Parts: sequence; C-alpha cells; structure tokens
Amino acid sequence: MSTFLQFLILGLMEGGVYALVGVSIVLVYKATKTVSIAHGQLLAFGAFFFYLFFGYFGLPIIIALLLCFLAIGVMGFVIERLALRPMIGQPLFAAFLVTFAVFVVFDGVFLLILKGGILGVPKFLPRESLLVGGLRIPEGQAISFVLSMAVFGIIGLMFRYSKVGLGMRATAEDHQLAQSTGISVKKMFSVIWVVSSVVAAIAGISTAHVIDIYYSYPLLGIKGLIVALVGGLESLPGALLGGLILGILENISAGYLDPIVGGGVKEVAAYFMLLVILLVKPYGLFGLVRIERI
Amino acid sequence: MLSLENVEVIYNDVILVLKGVSMQVPDGKIVSLLGANGAGKTTTLKAISGVLYTELGEVTDGRIEFEGRTIGRMDPEDIVRLGIVQVMEGRKLFEHLTVDENVKVGAYSRSDAAEIRRDIERIYQYFPALLELKGRISGYLSGGERQMVVMGRALMARPKLMLLDEPSIGLSPMLVKEIFQIIKEINLQEKTSIFLVEQNAMIALSLSEYGYVMENGRVVIDGPSDKLKENEDIKEFYLGLSELGKRKSYREVKHYKRRKRWLG
Ligand SMILES: Nc1ncnc2c1ncn2[C@@H]1O[C@H](COP(=O)(O)OP(=O)(O)OP(=O)(O)O)[C@@H](O)[C@H]1O
Ligand SMILES: [Mg+2]
Repeated sequence: MSTFLQFLILGLMEGGVYALVGVSIVLVYKATKTVSIAHGQLLAFGAFFFYLFFGYFGLPIIIALLLCFLAIGVMGFVIERLALRPMIGQPLFAAFLVTFAVFVVFDGVFLLILKGGILGVPKFLPRESLLVGGLRIPEGQAISFVLSMAVFGIIGLMFRYSKVGLGMRATAEDHQLAQSTGISVKKMFSVIWVVSSVVAAIAGISTAHVIDIYYSYPLLGIKGLIVALVGGLESLPGALLGGLILGILENISAGYLDPIVGGGVKEVAAYFMLLVILLVKPYGLFGLVRIERI
Repeated sequence: MLSLENVEVIYNDVILVLKGVSMQVPDGKIVSLLGANGAGKTTTLKAISGVLYTELGEVTDGRIEFEGRTIGRMDPEDIVRLGIVQVMEGRKLFEHLTVDENVKVGAYSRSDAAEIRRDIERIYQYFPALLELKGRISGYLSGGERQMVVMGRALMARPKLMLLDEPSIGLSPMLVKEIFQIIKEINLQEKTSIFLVEQNAMIALSLSEYGYVMENGRVVIDGPSDKLKENEDIKEFYLGLSELGKRKSYREVKHYKRRKRWLG
C-alpha cells in the first residue's frame, strides 16, 4: 500500500508538469482552433533560457525568471506573427503542419545549442525530501507542483473574471462574432500565444529542476498534446485532470511493471492512456458539449 | 453619416457579390435595406463593419465613408470604436457565455468602467425580460430572448450607427412588434442611426424614412419609404416571397457552409 501511495505522490507531482504543458496547448487551441506541436519547443527553450540567465549568467532567480518569460514570450509572439497569422482562414490542417514545421526548425536549433551534451541548471529548489508517515516527498517537486497549480488557478481566474479573459472566451467561441463586437481577434491570438508560451516555459523550468536539459526535452510537448487530447482539447480542467492522470499512471505502471518487463513502461504509458480514453470517449474526458439550438 | 460609393466586394478572390453599390445612411435616421435571399444585403453590412475578412471577402473597389473618414480598409475593432456596430444575422450569441457576459462583452471597445456599469443597467431597462435570465447560459435562450441579447450587446458599444440584420425573422407577430418598437426607441433616445436589413418589408418601410432594394449585388430601387410602400413591384415581390419554410432550409445550408469555410 505504501509503495502504491509513494508512486501516486511522485506521479501526481510529475503530472503537474504534464498538466501545464497540456494547458498551454489547450489555451492555443481554444482561441485559435490550431493544434500546436510547437509547444514542446517552447517548453525546451523555456528551460534553456532559464539555464542561460540563471545558470550561465548567474542572475538572481527572480530576474532570471522574468527575463526567461520575456524571451519565451517574444519567441511565442514571433512564431504566431510570422508562421501562424498567415494561416488565418486557411484549412486547419495546414496550420497544424505549420506548427510541426516550427517544431522541426527549432529542434535543429535546440540540438545545435546542446551540441550533443546536456545542460545542468543549478538546483534552485530544495533537493531534500520530507518523510511523512513513511512516504518520501521531494520538497523541490512539491514546491513546483504547488506553483503549477497556482499558475493553473491564475489562468482560470483570468479567464473567468478579467476583461481580457472575457474577450478570450468570446474569441474561442466565434471569431467573426468576436470581431463584430469590437474584439481584435488577431490581438487575442498574439496574447494567447504569449501566455501559453510562458506556461510551457514554466513546465520546462520545473522539469529542469528534476532532469538536466537534454535532447528529448521538446518531446514533452507530445505528452502535453496527449494530455490536451485526453482532456478534450478545449477544456482547461480537462487538461489538468489529464496531466495528473498521466503522471500517476506513468509512475504506477512503471513502478510495478518495470521490474517485471525490464523497464520502458513509462514511455508507453502515455500512448496507452490516449488510446484507451479516446476509444471510450472520442472527444476526450471533457469534450465540449455543443449547444445545438437554432 | 455613412456613405457607400460604388462598393464592390469579392469573396475568395473570384466570387463577385457586390457590383457597385451606393447607399447613404444619414445621422439619426432609420434606413431599410430590402431584397431577396442572396441579393447581397448581409454582405453589404459586413463590408461596412469590416468583418468580411473573416470569410475571405474583400472590398475591391469603391469607397465606404463614415463621418467623412474612409473605413473601407479598417480593422473591424477600429470601426466599432468609431461607432458602427453590426448585429449579425441569425442572432449569434456566445453560446457558452451567460446572458450578462454576452451583454458585457459588447462594451469591449470601451474602457470607462463606471459608464459601462450604468449602461448595463439601461440595457436591462430596455429589455426587462433579460433581467431574470442574467446568469443563464445563453445557448439555451429562445429566439426572442436572443434578439434582445444581441441588440443589448450592440447597444453596449454606444453605437452611432447600428447595422441590424433581419431582427424580426422567425419571431411571433407580437414579438416582432415589440422588437420594432424598441428599435424605434433606440433610434429616438440614443440618437442611433439604424441601417435595417429586413424581409418584413412593410414593417421595415413604415419604420424607416428611406429604403434601398437590392437584387443580385446591385441597388435596383431606392427612395423615401412611404413611396416605396406604394410601389407595385415591391408589393408583388414581397408577397411572392412567403414560402418561409423553403427559405429557412436554404439559409441553414448557407450558414453551415460558411461556418465550415471559416473554421477550415
Ligand atoms: N463567405 C462567402 N463566400 C462566398 N460567397 C458568399 C459568402 N457569403 C455570401 N456569399 C454569396 O454572396 C451572395 C450574397 O449573400 P448575402 O449573404 O450577402 O445575401 P443576403 O442578401 O444577405 O441574403 P439572405 O436574405 O439570404 O440573408 C450569395 O450568393 C451568397 O452565396
Ligand atoms: Mg443576409
């Protein structure tokens, strides 16, 4: 039982990061109806920028974080402006392919930066573990989990109560109608790309606390995509839940099965989960209920 | 004053829909725009409000001016800020937002919070029926309620000119009367000019001072409303067009296609 709880706790914490990546993809999808693969790179570059400002230049952590958010915000902004804006009005699949192209281009840059090595970010969160009733709780990961949930809460509140949030929800429903009420849909697209890039970067930075930056960081974006799909693509709570479920599932299945099959279960768990959930609920756990009433 | 001069609109770079349309809506007046299905009425309104670009439409020739300014190439949000708001056909709401949020979002172009709050109250005075629906998810409202929300939302922008696309379609005669009364009231109290697209020609003409009739992307008749009301062609034309059932299904097909195109 306590091994199970241990896997559960570790999974939950890892799931917090997945949830953030998922949320960043859902944000973009809700507003622009584009499924983005590119967010894996935003996550990776977020971690890299943090390494650069915090690890390499040795700036104080708050300043490093702000500069990192600024840099990744600019990167998201530029991607939207140069690659995705021209796709407005074009078939959605074309926009999806564009994000794939963006992914591949930045992957090249990312590999050049790494030069086949790894980048270790100096540990910025506590590395000790708390022992609670025989369970090990890594402090650093617990902190970043709480922060992830806070980010999630802030986004939720912003959507619910702020003016920009209202504009975004309106944009998410109907671009033309939003335009006719005086909302600049193009500006909304920019804002959403900047915000979601920062969210992806936060996930990248959280990951960098646990694992040094290496070549497969961008692939976390694929897990984020799975999380988003499982949650229904349009639902923030869905992405949160999907992320947590994925983290827990990975850790529990790997924890129990790896000793038997000799490892690798964790890598498969995500795809397995996607398959099962989409078979049962093709629109994801929280696929939007369409209001049909003419 | 709004004026269109020889406006030409092309969709998808090839489909010529407006073929040189000239019209005027003087300040504070109500002007009707009539015409059969597919004549180009909605396209005219979209050209004015600037939302054409969302369906790959473009004003390719002519001028659209409002208060002496050329607005033909402006972004829709700037046109709203200048005081022109379009109430789209089909009573489109943000279905997943509440009634209150739908109304509030109409003030998106404004930043005078205190005034906005006062205006919201005024909207509920115009449409008292909405008061108890405030917190309701708007996707489930009835046609009449929807019409009130879309008009309330448009009013929140404090428009100088409101472009109303088929406000009466599908409503019961009682409601139609009520809606037109409110339109008149808005026109008088808020001094809002109104450009009214209608199938219900007789009501529209008795409300407005001037009218245009479009056919196939062109203006074919125009004149003072009371003159138009006596016009035999118009009488016949609009009596001939009473097959409501048929028309509705055509509209639905068109909407579906349009939505699909925009969503890709
Ligand atoms: N997005 C679009 N792309 C291509 N053609 C379009 C588009 N929207 C409208 N059209 C065409 O332009 C013509 C005019 O359409 P419009 O919607 O302006 O007519 P309308 O007068 O408002 O008709 P209705 O009374 O049915 O609303 C129609 O032939 C229509 O098929
Ligand atoms: Mg129309």
